[in-house]
Order: sequence, then structure tokens, then C-alpha cells
Amino acid sequence: MNGPLLELSDLTVTRGGTTVLDRLSLRLETGECAILLGEEGSGREALVRVLGGFPDKADSISGTIKFAANQARPAAKRLKAPIRIAYLPSPLTNPLSPHASALKQLVRIVARKLGAPFGSAREELRLALERFPTAVTLELLDTKPDRLDPVTLAIALMAAVTAQTPDLVLADHPFADLGPAAVKLLMTLLRAEHTRLGFGLIYATGGLQAAARLGGRVLVLRAGRVVEEGDATRLMGEHAHAYTKTLFKALPRLNRDAPKPRTAHRGQPLLQVHGLSFVPNTSMRDGLTFELRRSASLALVGEAGSGRRAMLRALLGFDKAPSGKVLFDAVDLYRLSEAMASRIRRRIAFVTGEDDCLDPRMTIHDTVEEPLRAHLDLSRDLIAGYRDEALKRVGLASHDGKRTVASLSMFDKRRLQVARAFVGAPLLVVVDEPLKGLDAFAQTIMREVLVDFRATQESAFLVMTSDLTVAQALADEAMVFQDGKIVERGSIAHLVRTPQHDATKALIEAVSFSDLSPESSSNL
Amino acid sequence: MQRFVIRQLIRLAAGLLGAVLIAAAIAASGEPAARDLPGFLTAFLNHLIQFGRLNLGISLVSGTPVAQELARYLPQTLALVAMGAGVALVAGVPFGLLLALGPTRRIAAPLIQIITATPVFVSGLALAFVAVHVLHWPVSVNAPVATPYQSWQIAALPILTVGLAGAAAVQLVLRRSAALSSEAPFRTGLKRMGLGLIEIETFYVLPHVAAGLAAGAREIVLALVSATVVAEWVFHSAGAADLFVKSVALADWNMAAILLFVFAAITFVVDFLGQTIAHALAPGGRP
Amino acid sequence: MRTREVSLASLIVRGLGWLGLGLLALAVLLSDFLAHAPAGAAIAGAELSPPSQAHPFGTDIIGRDVFSETLHGLAATGVKAVAAAAIAIVLGGLFGAVAARLPRPLALLVRGFWGVLAAVPPLLLAILLIGLFGGGFAIVAAGLATAPLGFVRSFDAVDVRSRHAEYAHATGIPGMILLKRDLTYDFHNVFGSVVARALAAATIVISTASFLGFGAPTRDLGLMIAASKISFFSAWWTAAFPALALILLILCARLAAGLDEGERA
Repeated sequence: MNGPLLELSDLTVTRGGTTVLDRLSLRLETGECAILLGEEGSGREALVRVLGGFPDKADSISGTIKFAANQARPAAKRLKAPIRIAYLPSPLTNPLSPHASALKQLVRIVARKLGAPFGSAREELRLALERFPTAVTLELLDTKPDRLDPVTLAIALMAAVTAQTPDLVLADHPFADLGPAAVKLLMTLLRAEHTRLGFGLIYATGGLQAAARLGGRVLVLRAGRVVEEGDATRLMGEHAHAYTKTLFKALPRLNRDAPKPRTAHRGQPLLQVHGLSFVPNTSMRDGLTFELRRSASLALVGEAGSGRRAMLRALLGFDKAPSGKVLFDAVDLYRLSEAMASRIRRRIAFVTGEDDCLDPRMTIHDTVEEPLRAHLDLSRDLIAGYRDEALKRVGLASHDGKRTVASLSMFDKRRLQVARAFVGAPLLVVVDEPLKGLDAFAQTIMREVLVDFRATQESAFLVMTSDLTVAQALADEAMVFQDGKIVERGSIAHLVRTPQHDATKALIEAVSFSDLSPESSSNL
Repeated sequence: MQRFVIRQLIRLAAGLLGAVLIAAAIAASGEPAARDLPGFLTAFLNHLIQFGRLNLGISLVSGTPVAQELARYLPQTLALVAMGAGVALVAGVPFGLLLALGPTRRIAAPLIQIITATPVFVSGLALAFVAVHVLHWPVSVNAPVATPYQSWQIAALPILTVGLAGAAAVQLVLRRSAALSSEAPFRTGLKRMGLGLIEIETFYVLPHVAAGLAAGAREIVLALVSATVVAEWVFHSAGAADLFVKSVALADWNMAAILLFVFAAITFVVDFLGQTIAHALAPGGRP
Repeated sequence: MRTREVSLASLIVRGLGWLGLGLLALAVLLSDFLAHAPAGAAIAGAELSPPSQAHPFGTDIIGRDVFSETLHGLAATGVKAVAAAAIAIVLGGLFGAVAARLPRPLALLVRGFWGVLAAVPPLLLAILLIGLFGGGFAIVAAGLATAPLGFVRSFDAVDVRSRHAEYAHATGIPGMILLKRDLTYDFHNVFGSVVARALAAATIVISTASFLGFGAPTRDLGLMIAASKISFFSAWWTAAFPALALILLILCARLAAGLDEGERA
């Protein structure tokens, strides 16, 4: 096949009076890769819907679409595309039914797409899986999707796509929130398959990792228009559009400079841990011992499921650890009554990547005021003053305070968490994957908000993340986890410069974009 | 699966045990000695022991053993409930599916409200009225008259009454379960990945909805039993449900207690079966 | 977009329901003025006359004006149902709020007891309680019988083991504050529909029980319909109008409660 695989011209999509795509034209050559970079609501989803042939009922579409050597036709027509299009969803959107075997569903999909019997579809899927240098097998997939971890499921979905030998793959932010190391692996697989099968690839994403890893042509979408188009490297270097600039500033990079001599924390010890073993049924020889001083910071870095959460629960005295001692503010947490422990916990605040940690029924104002009202006897005016200051800090001051949490966007909820944490002037802030699920732009702001929080409040930070750049932004020291064990610890600046353990190296590798220098990306 | 069934069996056993305790308490409250607490407790324990020996006591009204009365009246009532359930499923399932999945949903909703707002005794009487004036059927509303060759016509009305009440419950449960799965993200996911709508509905949604129906079996059986009481009373068919009403009215607590236990036991057993079927159809689909 | 339309439609439906309930309440309040005759007043010589100008709903077998009787019956049923619904809500709500906060074994026990009660149709339970404690107990019996029907569950939804409650606990927010949250937010949001649902359920149970002969001696709609069983084949109006009034009451309550679970989506 020669010539363009796909040509869109003057595509306009409106939904209930608002234009989500504005006279967009796009041309994709056979075997080319295009990255659609845009936040939620930028028109990214609408474009994927039109290309995939599954528009919403609310979409009204004009413009034409042309596949390969076929005639151009109105994009609004729901016709079967003359080329094979495969859709690659994110495993976190639960694209498979939770009540049936993942394998059977994938086989059914491949069989439908190839028009082949189940037996040969299964064989195709097996071959596709075997091409990946991973341990995922057909047998492993023959279980309910929710029993599989997201990365395995992502690999399975990708295998189902390549088993279809498609002409065009529509990747709909498929690897969002999977952790840097996993994203790196999946990207490598996708790139290899792209090269091998020569399919056209349209990769819609809100994050910058894809643009950085895949290379190729990037289209920056905003408010239904392409505001910038060009090679990934060019956009990252001398970008013209202000929006692109802000976007790319969000691409987190590790700071590899020599550590600045910081004033050492000589404050009182806030959290002291002696010989704590927190994972049941594992015999840790010595247990964990460390100390977090007031207004100091510590990051627990590791991939999801590496035992960080169990450790946190043990640290805060929710689950009693099998052995060891935890002193919070020089008080043994495990010996306290529930009432006393609750008094201690008032000085702890959480900022997490899970949005159900806020009560969805409450209003913005109530959410922020509650800790103040619960713990302190303050006048109404004083409370309102503190509340407004906290909301201003996170940029929520312009929102109507009577809106409920349930009506807020994910980004707003995340910032509201910070405001709620901020208002109580906590001694310890526990930050758990604070950027999860956010688009690039929101990530930048969230990062700044947290850094600002740490700079202005004298709170100690305990950061849990799989992303070393987050750890570096919010903490000075780090402990690297793998399979429930600490494999390396030290100041982050040192860890980044001279990593010892393979797990640490992998974490650094996962957020390094050195392969994006002009020489290496040109051969993509 | 095994663990689930065992857990459900434990629930069933606990429920039945609780029902036995309540039955014993009711039977004891009828004793003349049960005026004060110690007297009540002795009577309660006595009844429990008697129940343990499968001695159900004697009906205070007819003087015959309760077990004998049960054997006489229960089969008819069970048959009425079972046939009512048949009608309920035959009428309720297509209706519920049509309303849940079809575009008729919003238009039909107020109509359904009116139908389900009608108490069973009113709909029973309305059916009887229609049967007499339109179909010219014999109806035993005022006096138990039954000519043998018209007996099926006489039997039809209570069944229909119970069935309609059941159908209302069936369609409600069905719609609720369909509404739950209509928002499931896998519908969009599978469709985008290339499966046909009908394929998704048949292989992935329907089992889910059916499981929801099975899991809601308890509600349906409650509606059926409740309707049976009314239907037997309205249409003068002497069954166990009618017997229950009479026993309570005549303060025959031995009889009433056992009948109450039987009705509770039916609910528990059906609930157990429904939960197990639901689990087999769509494991983990429901808490 | 779609969700907004649905919620608008359901708002209208609920508004209609409350409006209907309000009108019915007004009719009940004014029943002594609206009715042509005081309750139970029979007119000799006018037995079983069909609807006419003088008697818009006709007269019954002993010559009582069905229109007046229906109004009085509606008043009796309505008052009883409201009282029973109040009992059901208070009991159910109290139970739900307490059971969610009890220590686990105790909560299991309470829940088990409630579960056994819920395995018997509310109607049978109400009949049994009335039989045990007498007709004067009818309102309490209906309230008790309908309490397990779901009011427990709607308050139960306020789960102290939810994720956000866990986080609040982790930051030392005391349980009393969480309870306050439940009261301010949930009560506020679900209260209307819980009241209406309880009203619908209590009306059905009360009128059916009194149709079966279990109820206070006041002549309510259930009793009226039961009494007209003898005459309604030849004189349909004796049963039809009380039945319609009853259906109207239940329908309004159900509409006010919002469409069924399945419809609320």
C-alpha cells in the first residue's frame, strides 16, 4: 500500500452546542505513528471516536474521511472501514467484562476481527503473546480480568491488537497510570510491534511519556484544534506555542546535579521506627529502622505492590506490626488507647491519588473546614479565614464553596485534598501517588502546589510513589522497595547519581529520556 | 464457588434457626402460663424442645395435630405460590426486559407505577369483577361454590392474582439489575474493540442480568407469599395462607407459629438457591 | 447530558407526587367540610343507588353516601399510614445508624434478627403482631413490619467503613463528626424519598390488614372495600371509589419517592 493510510479533512464535531473538534485535518502515512497529545476535553476523545467508527449519539459530525486508496466519504456515515482498525484501550478503564475469562473475551474479539474460527484466533493470540519477551501466557490469562494485574492485562490487550494484524491501531491512552517502569516496558513492546507489522499508529494521550518514548509526529490538541504539530524532539526543544511549552515543562526530569548542601535537619525526631517488620509471614532479619525528623522528608519508592502500603499502615498504627516499635512524637503508637492515637493522628494529613478519600457529599467549604472545627475551638471568622487562605493556595478560591465534592473534576478534588491537609498545619503529610490519573498540565500544577506546601509549612513529608521524579521533587531521602523489602536507601541526589541496586537503576531508567536526543529519535 | 456455597449454607442455617426461635416465642406467647417473664421463658423452652423432637403441637382450634393440618393445607398453597411464580416469570421477564432495555423505558415508567401501586386485594377484586362481568366465569368470592368442570376457572383467578403481584416484583428486580449492568464500562470497551452489540448483550450482559434476577429471588418470593394470603382470602380457597390469617384471628398460636416458620423457611431456601444460582452465573457480580 | 435530562424528569415526577400528597392531605384536613354526611350516617331508602347528582359516588348497601365515606376512609387510612411510616422510619433509621456502629459480633446478631423478620412478608408480620397485641396496636404493627423493608438499608448506605470515613479516621476525625456528616448530608438528601417510600409501604400494609379484618375499628379504605365485597358485583361503585382513592394515595407516595431503583440510574 502506498500513499496515505488515512486522510481526515475539515472534521468538525459538536456536542450539544459546544464544538469539541474544530475543522481538523489529519493525514497519516502507512506505517506512520502520530501522537495526539491533549488533555481531557481537548477533542482527543472525539477524534478517537470518529476514527474508530463508534461516535456517540450526541456527536454531530461533519467533514470527510478517506481510508487508503478508497474514496473520501462523509465522516458522519457509520460505514465499515475498508481497512482493519484495532482499538487498544487502557486496562484501567475495565474494558473487559469482569464476569468472564479475559482470554475467552480476547479470543472472541480476535476471531471477530479476523473473521476466523475461535481455534485459529486463539492460536494467533498465543503467537502474538510469545513474541513479547514477557512471561504472559494464554493459560495465565484464562481468568477473570480483575484477578490480573493491570500490566499483564495491558500486555494481553496489546497481544489481542497485534494478533489482528491491523492496518491502523488506535491507542486510547492505553498505559496511563501504570507506573514509569511498566510504561517503559509496554512502550518498548508497542514500538517493536509497530516496526515489525508496519501498522499506522494513532496514540491518544494526556501524558507526555508517550511523546517522549515513542517519538514520531506529535499533534498537540487544545480546545478542538491542533495548536502545534511536529517532531517530538523539536517540540521539546524549541517549541513555539506557549501552551506546548507549558505542557512540555511538565515532563518530569530527574535532577542529576550534585546535591546542594542543605541545612541538615536537626529538629526533634517526629517518627522513629525501630526494628519494624511490617509484612506478615516474611522474616526480615533486622526489621526496619529509621528516623524522620520534624520538617524532614522521606520517600518510599517502588512499583505498585512492592509493600509500601503495608508499611504505611504499620507506620501509622492501623495494623499492628508483628514486631518492632513506632514512636510518633516520642510516643509509642502501639501502646496508645484508640482515643489517644486519634489525638496523635490529628497532626497527620493525607494527600492521595485516590479520590474517594474525600466524602463526596460534602461541600468544598465543609471539606476544608472540618479538621479545624473538629479539633480546634475557633471562631467562625477565623475558620473562614484559614479556609480561604488554604483554598487560595491551591487555586480553588474562585470555585463556589457550596459545590459538592462529587461535582468536582479529578484535578479539583486532588487540590481540595491539599487544601484540607494544609489547613490543619500538620506535623506529617503522607503523600501517596499524588499525580495518579491527572493530565500533563494538571500534573505540573499539582507538583507545584505540593512543592509550595512543603516550602511554606514546616511539615515533614512521607512520600509514596513509583516515580522517582515525584520523590525528588518532594523529598530529600528515599528508601527503594522491592517485593516488600528495602533494597537501597539514602539521599535521593546520591541515589540518582550512583544507584547501586538494580531496582533503583530500573526506577531511574524509567524516568530518563536520554534516548530522546535528536540522533536517536531520527531513526524511528 | 465451594466457599460461597458454604457461606450461604451457614446463612441459611442461621436464618432457619432464627425462624425456629421466633416460632417458639410466638407459640409460647399463646400459653396461659406465659403472662410473666419466667412463665414465658419456660413455655418458650418447652416449645423449643418439642420442636426439636419434631412435635409441632396441636391446633387449638380444630384440636388436630399441627403437622396433620399442614399436610392438608400446605400443598395447595405451595402449588398456588409455584404457579403464581410461573405466571410472574412468564409475564414479568419479557415485560421487565422490554422496559429495561428498550426505548419504551421512560414512557412506560409512569404506567408501571400505577400498576404496582395497586394493592393486591384491589387487583384481585378487579380481576374477579372482570371475570364475572366480561368472561362470565364462576367466581367464588362470596361463598365457596365449585362445580367440578369449572374448577380450573375458579383456580385460575387466584393464580393470576398471585402471578401479577409476582410479575410486578420480577420486573422491578430485573430492571434494577439491568440498570446496574447498563453502566458497566465493559460494554463500551468490548464494543470499541470490535464485538457486536448483540454479541455483548448475549454473552456478557444477559448472564449478569439473569444473575441479578436470581439474587433478587427473595424479594419476588416475599411478594408471592404476601399475595397468596390475600388471594386465598379473596377467593375463598382454603389453603395454608388462609389458615394463617384464621389462626391469628382465632388466637391459635401453635398453628400460626408453625405457618410463619414455613413461610420464613420458604424465603430462606429460595434466597439460598437464588444466591447460589446468581453466583454460578456471574461470580463476584454481587456482594 | 442524558443524566441531566433524567434527573429533570425525575424531579418533575417527584414534584407531582408531593403535590398529589399535599392535595390529598388537604382533602383529609377538610374532609369534614367536603363530605356531605358525617361518617357512618345512613340515608334510609337510598340503599345502593348508583352515582347521581345527590350522591356523586352513589350509596352503599345500607345507604351511606360513598363520597363522604371515601373521604372519611381516606382520612383514617392516611392518618394511620403517616403514623406507621413515622414509626418505621424512626425504628429503621435508629437501627441502621446503630447497627453500622456496633462491634462486629453484636452487629451480626442484630442484623440476623432483623434478617429473620425480613424473611416474612411485612403483611404477615403485621397481621401476627396485631393478632398478638390487639387491634389498637395496628399502627405500631404496620410500622414495625415495614421497617425492615429498606429504610434500614437507605440509612445503612451511610457506611462508616467507607473509604472516606477510613481516611477521616486516619487523620483523627472523631466518630461523632462522621455521624454528624451522615445526619446533615444523608438525612437531608434521602429523607424525602424515605418518608414517601415508607408512606407507600405502610399504606399498603395497613389497608390490606384492615381488609383482612385486622385493624382498628375505625372505618378506613381497606375496611370499606372489604365491606363492599358483598355488593360490588352488582353495584361496582361501592368498591371502585374507595379503591381508586387508595391507589391514588399509594401512587402519589411512590411518585414522591422517586422512580424505582432501576429507574434512578
